[in-house]
Amino acid sequence: MKLKLSDILITIVIALVFGIIYKLWGPVYSLFKPFGLHIGDVIYGMWFIAGTVAMLLLRKPGVALLAETAAASGEFLVGSEYGLSVLLYGIIQGLGTELMFALFGYKRYTAFVAALGGIAAAVGSLIMDAAYGYVMDLALWNLLLLIGARLIGGFLIAGLLAYFLVEALEKTGVTSLIRPASDEDYKALDR
Amino acid sequence: MKVGVSNLRLKFAGAPSLQFEDLSLHVKESEKILFLGPSGCGKSTLLQVLAGLIPNAVPVPMKADDMVICESTGVVFQDPDAQFCMPYVDEEIAFVLENRAVPQHEMNDLIQYYLDKVGLSFQDPHVEISTLSQGMKQRLAISSMIALEPEVIFLDEPTALLDPEGTSEIWSTIKQIEAKQTMIIVEHKIDEVVDFVDRIVLFNSEGKIIADSDPNTVFSFYKHKIREFGIWYPEVWDEHIKETDLPKDIVRGKEVLSVTNLKGYRGKHPKIQAPEISVCEGEWVAITGKNGAGKSSLLLSLMNVMKTSGEIKVSNQLIKTVHDARSQLAFVFQNPEFQFITHSVYKELAYSLEMINDPNVDEKVNGWLTSYQLEHVKLLHPYQLSTGQKRRLSVGTALFGSQPVLLLDEPTFGQDAQNTFKLLQLFEELRAKGLIIIMVTHDEKIVNNYATRQWIIEKGLLVADRNLERVGEGKAYAMDS
Amino acid sequence: MQWTLNYEETWVHRLNPAFKLVFFLLLFLLLLFIHNPNIITNITVVPLLLLLFSTGHQKKVLLILMLPFLLLFFSSASSMMFFGQGSTTWWKWGLIHITEESFYRGLHIGFRALNFALLGLLFALTTRPVYLFYSLIQQLKVPPRFAYSFMAAVRILPVMLEEFQQLRAALLIRGVKKKKGYRRITQTITLYAVPLLSQSIRRAHRIAVAMEAKRFNNNKRTYYYKPTFSKFDLLFLLYTTIGFGVAFWVGDTFPYFDSTDVRQK
Repeated sequence: MKLKLSDILITIVIALVFGIIYKLWGPVYSLFKPFGLHIGDVIYGMWFIAGTVAMLLLRKPGVALLAETAAASGEFLVGSEYGLSVLLYGIIQGLGTELMFALFGYKRYTAFVAALGGIAAAVGSLIMDAAYGYVMDLALWNLLLLIGARLIGGFLIAGLLAYFLVEALEKTGVTSLIRPASDEDYKALDR
Repeated sequence: MKVGVSNLRLKFAGAPSLQFEDLSLHVKESEKILFLGPSGCGKSTLLQVLAGLIPNAVPVPMKADDMVICESTGVVFQDPDAQFCMPYVDEEIAFVLENRAVPQHEMNDLIQYYLDKVGLSFQDPHVEISTLSQGMKQRLAISSMIALEPEVIFLDEPTALLDPEGTSEIWSTIKQIEAKQTMIIVEHKIDEVVDFVDRIVLFNSEGKIIADSDPNTVFSFYKHKIREFGIWYPEVWDEHIKETDLPKDIVRGKEVLSVTNLKGYRGKHPKIQAPEISVCEGEWVAITGKNGAGKSSLLLSLMNVMKTSGEIKVSNQLIKTVHDARSQLAFVFQNPEFQFITHSVYKELAYSLEMINDPNVDEKVNGWLTSYQLEHVKLLHPYQLSTGQKRRLSVGTALFGSQPVLLLDEPTFGQDAQNTFKLLQLFEELRAKGLIIIMVTHDEKIVNNYATRQWIIEKGLLVADRNLERVGEGKAYAMDS
Repeated sequence: MQWTLNYEETWVHRLNPAFKLVFFLLLFLLLLFIHNPNIITNITVVPLLLLLFSTGHQKKVLLILMLPFLLLFFSSASSMMFFGQGSTTWWKWGLIHITEESFYRGLHIGFRALNFALLGLLFALTTRPVYLFYSLIQQLKVPPRFAYSFMAAVRILPVMLEEFQQLRAALLIRGVKKKKGYRRITQTITLYAVPLLSQSIRRAHRIAVAMEAKRFNNNKRTYYYKPTFSKFDLLFLLYTTIGFGVAFWVGDTFPYFDSTDVRQK
């Protein structure tokens, strides 16, 4: 199950597309966050979507981490207003998603696991926030609101929306390029 | 034997049957061999097997009793926009040299050398690949392929996505490569290749070899097959015209489309200007001109998709917005996939009807499915159709209402001969009913044989507007030679 | 984005890209350990000067790119200002509770975010991705498979942008009506994301096969570009060290805010 060159390239292409969206998402998020009530953090989930989408498409170990890291690098290279912090966030968010698919032995690619992957990425981002400092200095109710909104965002956008997108992509038949052939296909050679 | 395979068995994932069943093929040193066959017969797949790409780079289930693969191969693929990994010309060739572990200090000279070999000369080869024409991109692809110093060259439809000019460019470049070179070619447009190859292997649609001999023999015994497979061979147009009874004298009806002082803008600058146009029922207009001259912009301006000034009238109705335009002008894009918005062929055709609350959706759609020959695929996702089917579907989705004008942006581009003729006949039927056909095309044969009028666009300006006489049989041949 | 903007090359472009990346990463970490709002405010001047005078880009372009940073400054600062913990109350209204501590902490966070943004933009505007990846391979031992894939993927983006415009025109012509509410989101996915992504996936696959056909593999390879270190790297090191040094000294000696440590005690 090693990543082939085409797996890597496809993952990075998808990631870069999302990287551009990540960059555009910055001002959107800033607008959605008026006076810091953190309701806007629901849309934060967009920043985890590359990992789940790539993983659901390619179904190989390492893809979520690679995708989220590459998306963050892309976001950074086009001049993200969050600067280099996006790289570290990307890595840890990607790790979160990766971990969930790993827990299921890279065998289950359902909406449920995708949603868990999105939530895990949200947890990753919160860990970064804590390490970043000051987030613990928020009033408790405000902090809880932040955590809740973030997790819901991960669940909805990086989980369910990502799953919906990949399902729509599968209908176009493009996944036949990516997915490995089944044992039956190989057996048919000997018949 | 240079490369070859014995008893190859290969199956695509999920396919109902084997693509190749015990197929054997052997290629001798310095042989030039052409694979011919209908779309989907697996000729490109076989090329990739022999080039060593399947199953290493592209894992497809396969096995063979015996295989001889050359260590040193070079491949040129069909899509000029999908074979480079670097942004600049010099960097792309350098990428190949790096792969060969050539020392850095030798690279600049070698880049120049390999570019010279394909006639690409730049003062400084640090040129963005995206600024090159498609033909130049393919020559760059050949150059970087030669930079591998391959023993066997594989060409996988290198001109499929090029206009006639680019196609000639490519073949004259390839013919300059050393005479002793072993070459395996897959191609659908074979006008310029037939004299160049020593051997033709003909496949049928099941992926079986039905002929394998020198070009003359294959052509004298299998001409009918080659024709059936939609291959562009030298006389195919003449034969088509001979069999098609195209009316020579066109009855021009009343004026339908009139344009005064049309300008289409991209940003602040006009991309296209057309001072005065008037088109009548039953005309077939071919828009010609160089790449980037503004042909597509003219169509987009008529549709009001670009910012426009001036006056456009269809059937005495002013066209001011895309919405106005849509009810009067049917538009078919160059890339049909972008026009598809649903998950099935049936829904695709029904979409526009449902939008205008047409009471007879089912009846109409079924009628179209028959006339566009799509009834057997009506439940498939539009993306899974063949290129010919996609094109016919996109025409169908555009012509949902009773629009009097059909605008087409290179509708026959990249299509095989069968599909092209099928489409042209479809357009001719529509034209005979009084529809106006306006199409961008690079194909002189279409201009000479089907069009009744030609607009030439140069540097954003409509510079010539002339009526044409359909050449018809005999004369077309004379023009060709 | 280097492939769309016209600019003149300056000395900041000639820094070793990998060095620049690592150095920026260190600056980033250093900023995390600064808790004195006086110092971080001063530090902002260091990247700002470089950005305005040494990137070789037009001032107009720079200002447009920096415009969202104001929004960022406000949105990063506001939640801490209004809802942060603190003991010296300045103003209280409903849920909003501005304290002296939380206000300065918010200000500090705003300036820190601004610094990240300026440094990030500085890097983006002065680094050609191709040089960066060559440098990452040679100086930081990033596997070529990933680096070259990245470079190839970057090439696909402008093509996608073109396709996006075609797609928009096509959908306009087909008269697709925008749906409302959450269905608008799913509609955007099916109409835009699916065609663009599926096209790009196919293109990426073809490019990968073409790269392997050009014998791109894990074998030993040479490099067309060999990024080295130069006096400019030293110059950059000196500029930032002195700049930060001055910022620290001024911040310590002539503070303009009452707070010198914004952490919750």
